[in-house]
Amino acid sequence: MSTPHRGPFDPDDVVWNPVSARLASARLVVAWLVVVVVLLPSVALGLAVGAVWSWLPAIVVVLVAVWITLLIPRQVRAIGYAERADDLLVRRGIMLRRLVVVPYGRMQFVDVQAGPVARRFGVAAVQLHTASVGTEASIPGLPPDEADRLRDQLASRGEARLAGL
Amino acid sequence: MTVAPRRADAQASSRGQGDAAVAPTSGAVWRRMHPITPVLKGWQIVAVLLVIVGNQVGDNVVNAQRFLSDGGWRWVLLVLAATAVVGGAWASLAWRMTSYAVDEQAVHLRTGILLRQRRQARLDRLQAVDVVKPFLGRLFGLAKLTLEVAGGSGSAVELAFLKESEADALRAELLARAAGIHRTTGDDPAPVAPEQEVFELAPTRLIGSLLLSSTTFVLVPALIGLTIWAVHVQEVAPVLAMLPAVLGVGSALWSRFAREFGFRAAISPDGIRLRHGLLEQRAQTVPPGRVQAVRVTQGPLWRGKDWWRVQINVAGYGIGKGAEDANVLLPVGSRTEAIHAIWLVLPDLGVPDPRETLQVALSGSGAEHGFLTMPRRSRWLDPWGWRRRGVLVTDRALLIRSGWFVRHLILVPHERMQSLALQQGPWQRTFGVSSVSVHSTPGPVSPMIAHLDSADAARLLTAQADRARVARAGAGPEQWMSRPVSGTADHG
Repeated sequence: MSTPHRGPFDPDDVVWNPVSARLASARLVVAWLVVVVVLLPSVALGLAVGAVWSWLPAIVVVLVAVWITLLIPRQVRAIGYAERADDLLVRRGIMLRRLVVVPYGRMQFVDVQAGPVARRFGVAAVQLHTASVGTEASIPGLPPDEADRLRDQLASRGEARLAGL
Repeated sequence: MTVAPRRADAQASSRGQGDAAVAPTSGAVWRRMHPITPVLKGWQIVAVLLVIVGNQVGDNVVNAQRFLSDGGWRWVLLVLAATAVVGGAWASLAWRMTSYAVDEQAVHLRTGILLRQRRQARLDRLQAVDVVKPFLGRLFGLAKLTLEVAGGSGSAVELAFLKESEADALRAELLARAAGIHRTTGDDPAPVAPEQEVFELAPTRLIGSLLLSSTTFVLVPALIGLTIWAVHVQEVAPVLAMLPAVLGVGSALWSRFAREFGFRAAISPDGIRLRHGLLEQRAQTVPPGRVQAVRVTQGPLWRGKDWWRVQINVAGYGIGKGAEDANVLLPVGSRTEAIHAIWLVLPDLGVPDPRETLQVALSGSGAEHGFLTMPRRSRWLDPWGWRRRGVLVTDRALLIRSGWFVRHLILVPHERMQSLALQQGPWQRTFGVSSVSVHSTPGPVSPMIAHLDSADAARLLTAQADRARVARAGAGPEQWMSRPVSGTADHG
């Protein structure tokens, strides 16, 4: 598992809340569906031509599938959020790491979203909106109860500290 | 200290269209726009048609000529006349169904023939008020009043068209109410706040700046190259092929010239006033504290003249259609004028020697005046720009310096910062650097500090979050006149 190392993305005095591992399952299901759709024609090509090279696309697809299968759980483990006294921190990413700091007083509204697959796996996403479109602060993979709690918590804290633009 | 009325309902209704339609208070009167409005709007429909026809003809000159000489011009006239009648009728109906009312809290607008729409601009969220006089409107002495309330795209309330004097009076009235000066309907008209001119743009300098812009920088060598090639191969085809590009660049230059012609900036208790435009004239008022970020730019060709361009983010102006018209604070100006433009937004920079600091920020490099610079190893990621990159945190604002070829300086007042992000890609990790983004409202300025030492970046992120919080707590109220007016700093 990820060893706690204090880097720029891991400020002191911050305890990160992980998101649900069910998010990994939800994302894997979607990824595998795509893989199957791509794999079928590649296998068909391999069977139809029968030469060694004609199996190359299928092999590539399988390799990518293995890589995605290993990557997605790690990506999900890399997502974390922390509620501080005055702002919310959201971090994500392994290759491209990103840590967003959203002051409660800057939040304009909070969305809770859950698509069909996410609902099946019992996860929801909480998205924070400020007056800036650059604020990409979305916390995917929250259990619905936690998502509702977080939304209400953020809304009340936001109202208490709301400042003009 | 007075406590500003906070927008407690912002969670529910931050998108303009989502606002629950609140009826205006009983004292307010519903009024219609000026009766000539349908003529101006109907003409716009015909103009759009003409542009479409023009485009078609432009693609197919020979066919169009044959069509016209075969008596097709009658058809053209007939279609145009029919469009004018239908458009005029539609616009008249729309005019009858449009009305506005002003009360203590908001401006209300009712529009729509089939889909009735009721929109309101709350005065305590007013971000900017523009009086726009389109060319045709000027012939009739009419103007359009636009209220920006930062509720996302399309949330502006547009009152088109009013008599010029009426539009000016209404603007003064709305600004007075938005400023927190209590007024009741029936009072004398609100006095127009006195203003003091800060700079004015001479037409010759505007033309010079366009000639030295990056478009001509690219276009002229391309044209010369093509001409040489055309002469060499004895064919005109290459030059003709360039014609659309030349026309495109020409019209872009022309529209910038027409937009920025006669640019004047002034300061008044109501905020920054900008006036500009050749055919369509626009008079903008941006109240105090509404500028979210400033960017000062100097292209390579402007370096000899030491010219600078200043652009601003104002919530509500946003990006897209018409935005490039509104978010310019100084189209082109000397270094002193650029410093004055910064002073308009940030009267107090929060450093003991603002002038020297800005000199270094505009064209300097290195750690002078307390700038935090990038580590030497970041040259592998940014071989030319790394020396120039720097960031300075003052008591009032964040100054971000960058650009080796095109110089940039971005200023963000601490209390205007929305959120922050720390980012690191794989290459940056290799060199132990990270970038910090400062999120501002949509506009031309997107502040980012690239390739800081990772430890510096983490420290800056934490410190900046704290500073912004303190600055927000101490910031003046949204209704700017309800705070003690700070004395205007001396300048110039």
